[in-house]
Amino acid sequence: MGKVARQVVEQAGIDVNVLVDKLVRAAAAEFTTFYYYTILRVNSIGFDGEGLKEIIEDARIEDRNHYEALVPRIYELGGALPRDIRTFADMAACPDAYLPADPRDMKAMLNVLVEAERCAIRVYTDICNMTAGKDHRTYELSLAILNEEVEHESWFSEYLGEGPSGHFRRGAPGASPYVRRFMTADIG
Amino acid sequence: MAFVKAGRAEEVPPGYTKLVRLAGRPVLLANWGGRVFAVGGVCPHQGKLLEGATVWDHVVDCPWHHFQFDVRTGQNLYPRNVYPRDLPHLEAQVRPLETYPVRVAEGEIWVDLG
Ligand code: FES
Ligand SMILES: [Fe+2]
Repeated sequence: MGKVARQVVEQAGIDVNVLVDKLVRAAAAEFTTFYYYTILRVNSIGFDGEGLKEIIEDARIEDRNHYEALVPRIYELGGALPRDIRTFADMAACPDAYLPADPRDMKAMLNVLVEAERCAIRVYTDICNMTAGKDHRTYELSLAILNEEVEHESWFSEYLGEGPSGHFRRGAPGASPYVRRFMTADIG
Repeated sequence: MAFVKAGRAEEVPPGYTKLVRLAGRPVLLANWGGRVFAVGGVCPHQGKLLEGATVWDHVVDCPWHHFQFDVRTGQNLYPRNVYPRDLPHLEAQVRPLETYPVRVAEGEIWVDLG
């Protein structure tokens, strides 16, 4: 924990316990989404699926990166991850991104993906709103994650035909162009 | 049951929600487009209060895990739209919210709890 790091956030008028709870729930959503996207990716096969696989992989790895980037901030602010992973999963700030009943239904798969990204956008917008001008470090981190979540939404919604499309794919899977600088552990 | 007073109209301006307790029951008031709606104030997902929920385009968004409900019907919109039908144990999470008739008269909000 960083004593002054926490104190200055409190002094700025933020309820740090509420903020930490939001960060833990966001981290839980990233962790569970990483898990579910793994299942979605391995089922992304066939004529439609093989093309989709690449962007699921980008979003999957970037969600893992978001988890990695959030954890240090949680501890700096005096928070902690729950000891029991079941508690952690149930706290996730977004619903579980289940594999559709028909795993070959790529449109259903895309709906799961796009809705999960929309939820993530709401989560980080909320944290940005809470921290803007007050907790500069959490704000920058949340904004970096938000930038990637917004891109993820557009990838999947454009795949569903909502375009035209302003993006092109990442140079390397899960490159995290925004969150990268917050990743203090090696990301390869 | 008759209509009970739930507050002043200016306490729930357009685009805002307010959690109130009526006859001991949590009720969420939501104003969309100048019309006030009343729905059950407990989220069926994990039973948490909808205090601090946002409203946009008739959709109330639970602040805890972002389950979403149509304030006109109480129906869960998300994640019901993506939860797989072959996992019936999830159904309890996406139950609808109760909806209550609302009347606004002389600046007071009245809710019929039924
Ligand atoms: S308690 Fe409302 S979404 Fe979880
Ligand atoms: Fe993410």
